[in-house]
Amino acid sequence: MRKVVIFAAVALLAVCLAPAMAWSAPKEIKIGVIYPLSGGAAAAGRELRAGAELAADIANGLIPGVNMTMAKNAGIKSLGGAKIKLIFKDHQGNPQLGADLAKKLILDDKVVGILGCYHSSVTKTVSAVAERYGIPMINGSSTSPDLTKRGFKWFWRTTPHDKWFTKDLFEFLSGLSKGKVRGVKAVPKDQISRLAAACEKTEWGSHVAIEIASFAKEYGFTLAANILYASKSPDLSSEVQSLIAAKPAAMLFASYTSDAILMIKTLKSMKAKPKIIWGQDAGFDKPEFVALGDDVVGILTRSVFLPSVTKMKPLAGQVNALFIKKMGHDLDGASARAFTGLQTWVHVLEKAGSTDPKAIQKACNTITIPGKELVVPWVGIKFSTKGDEIGQNVLGGGLIGQYQKKGGKVVLEVVYPFDIATADMIFPLKGY
Amino acid sequence: MEAIRNAFDFTDLPRGEMIIAALALLFLLLFPVLPHSSFAMATMIQFLMFSLYGMGWNLIGGYGGQVDLGKAQYVGIGAYTTALLMIRLDVPFWYSLPVGLALAVIWSFIIGYPLFRLKGHYFAIATIATSLVLKDIFEVWNFVGGARGLEIPLKGNLPNWLYLQFKQDYYYFYVLLAMFLVGLIYVNGFRHSRLGFQLRAIKDNENVARSLGIDAHWCKIKAYATATAFVAAVGSFHACYNFNIEPEDVMSLDLSVLIALMAMLGGAGSMWGPIIGAAILVPMKSYLGDWLGGKAGMAGMDLLLYGAIIMFIAAVQPRGVYGIVEALRARRRR
Repeated sequence: MRKVVIFAAVALLAVCLAPAMAWSAPKEIKIGVIYPLSGGAAAAGRELRAGAELAADIANGLIPGVNMTMAKNAGIKSLGGAKIKLIFKDHQGNPQLGADLAKKLILDDKVVGILGCYHSSVTKTVSAVAERYGIPMINGSSTSPDLTKRGFKWFWRTTPHDKWFTKDLFEFLSGLSKGKVRGVKAVPKDQISRLAAACEKTEWGSHVAIEIASFAKEYGFTLAANILYASKSPDLSSEVQSLIAAKPAAMLFASYTSDAILMIKTLKSMKAKPKIIWGQDAGFDKPEFVALGDDVVGILTRSVFLPSVTKMKPLAGQVNALFIKKMGHDLDGASARAFTGLQTWVHVLEKAGSTDPKAIQKACNTITIPGKELVVPWVGIKFSTKGDEIGQNVLGGGLIGQYQKKGGKVVLEVVYPFDIATADMIFPLKGY
Repeated sequence: MEAIRNAFDFTDLPRGEMIIAALALLFLLLFPVLPHSSFAMATMIQFLMFSLYGMGWNLIGGYGGQVDLGKAQYVGIGAYTTALLMIRLDVPFWYSLPVGLALAVIWSFIIGYPLFRLKGHYFAIATIATSLVLKDIFEVWNFVGGARGLEIPLKGNLPNWLYLQFKQDYYYFYVLLAMFLVGLIYVNGFRHSRLGFQLRAIKDNENVARSLGIDAHWCKIKAYATATAFVAAVGSFHACYNFNIEPEDVMSLDLSVLIALMAMLGGAGSMWGPIIGAAILVPMKSYLGDWLGGKAGMAGMDLLLYGAIIMFIAAVQPRGVYGIVEALRARRRR
């Protein structure tokens, strides 16, 4: 009888305390994350997901000892220690599916905001849905310049866009002709002035093609071929033939993962001999691409994060080590930007102190995150609120890296900006 | 007059089918007021869109037996006409819809005339080629936005019936449901029409049909143009629903194949086939993706399962799901 009474008392106590405990327990803040987790860009999706998850784990206090503000709060301090919960969705590179998933996240899952979507074409439709419903969306990794030219009130982008990156490329090429590149004597401009570009033909790639054409003209380079191709194409031999026929000194690419790999394999099979190969990040910055081994040595890629950045930023080294523990390889441009995107969400929520969309909107428009908090080598994050690029981070910056072989391993070394170059550039490319 | 009477004459259909159809219609009419998630609503809209695509495909592919794998080009023409007229000339949806239909039908005559000189696989390959060529042209044509496509801006306050711009999806659902019912009634009339019978005769044996005085070439062109009108109308709707179109989205080979697949899997050549196909494949694709697509370590599993189920149905009954229904019915009669 006594046991029954004790049991009943404990049960009663538990019943009475349960609601109070539930009430005092930190709330969850749901962020919808839409990435390409399957399809041609699945490799990128895996990196993006891991980057966002790592940032959430750090923000939620699951990984102690990281030297950044969000790691010290164990949740969103201004919201009573509420934890970040990520709800992942796979858009498969399909803009219509992305829009449907955005509606689901907003209306069914009641997310506070959205992070995504990598493909600029999907970001375009998803941000249009977010705009219609007045839900904040932070974009960390879509680089089509048009995205921040639409005057949207609920869309913010942390990454620099392709106009900046393409300008970096032409600054680099000009620097090459002026002897500014570490380890390379000035190359006469006429030896590198003939260019050929092949870009995948969705929103992102077609924009890169436009930017390349525009900057080539501005910087006095000759664009002998400017090809658009389908990233899902199973054969790129006719595109590569056209590139080779243009006899360029430099071949420029905007490719997703599977097509970037196919492009290099096809260049090799056709024994292409350009002096420079440059890729606009994306596929050129993925572990699967690096797995091509010696075939990628000497290739340039723009990025916002290279492992050699860790030599300059101890914080980047700390986070990179955690990422290696999680994934078995270094952070790359995609994962570092996904990390930064989610980190921006955490800072914004902290500043807003509320999950009300209007408060978040205000926080986004006024926030400044210093560069010392970030893993990417940017001055910081501050979104433009006027002019023709509303919602664009104005403190970002890009890098150009080159694959080099060090100790039997293929690594990316910084070659641009010139003042932070970490190795001598290999020039010219030995060709295939 | 007889054509209208035929269109509303469902008396030749089995009673069981009519009861199921009536219940399904009641469900569709009431769906927006029943408890549902927004994802379910988006899936229902996709279902109605693919039903209409499939109904169009079925006219030429099912009743006519001409496997058309290039329907996406007409989706694109409808979508781009509406978007361009809306963006550049501020033309409301209801005016741009018939313009899109007319352009698509004209294009179908231009394409159809030489294409129907071909037969069987050659015809199927030619439809793929024409669709891909048109897509390639659109991808490099700056006037239509090139590969980046077009984005339709919001026109004033929502809901906007003139420009078909709504915040809540149930408006789109009812507009599409109305189009679906018109389409269904048209297909029913088509079944009983002279052209419908001629097409079925051509499908069974083209030489015999010709010997009976049927102009097979002209019949196919007419059916192809009618099928085109269906998909172009949905294309126009798609532009307004999605606010954004690009060639990869509305003119891709994937879309053409999906349209044909749904109709074939449901049962080509039957009135309900494309609807059954869409009712199975659209929710399956959406919910498998939602269930498995975002789960860690399960990337791509939804697509594997989706493919496996399609292969299973095709292996059990090559005539599609409606073929299974007919086989069961025949067995019961015996």
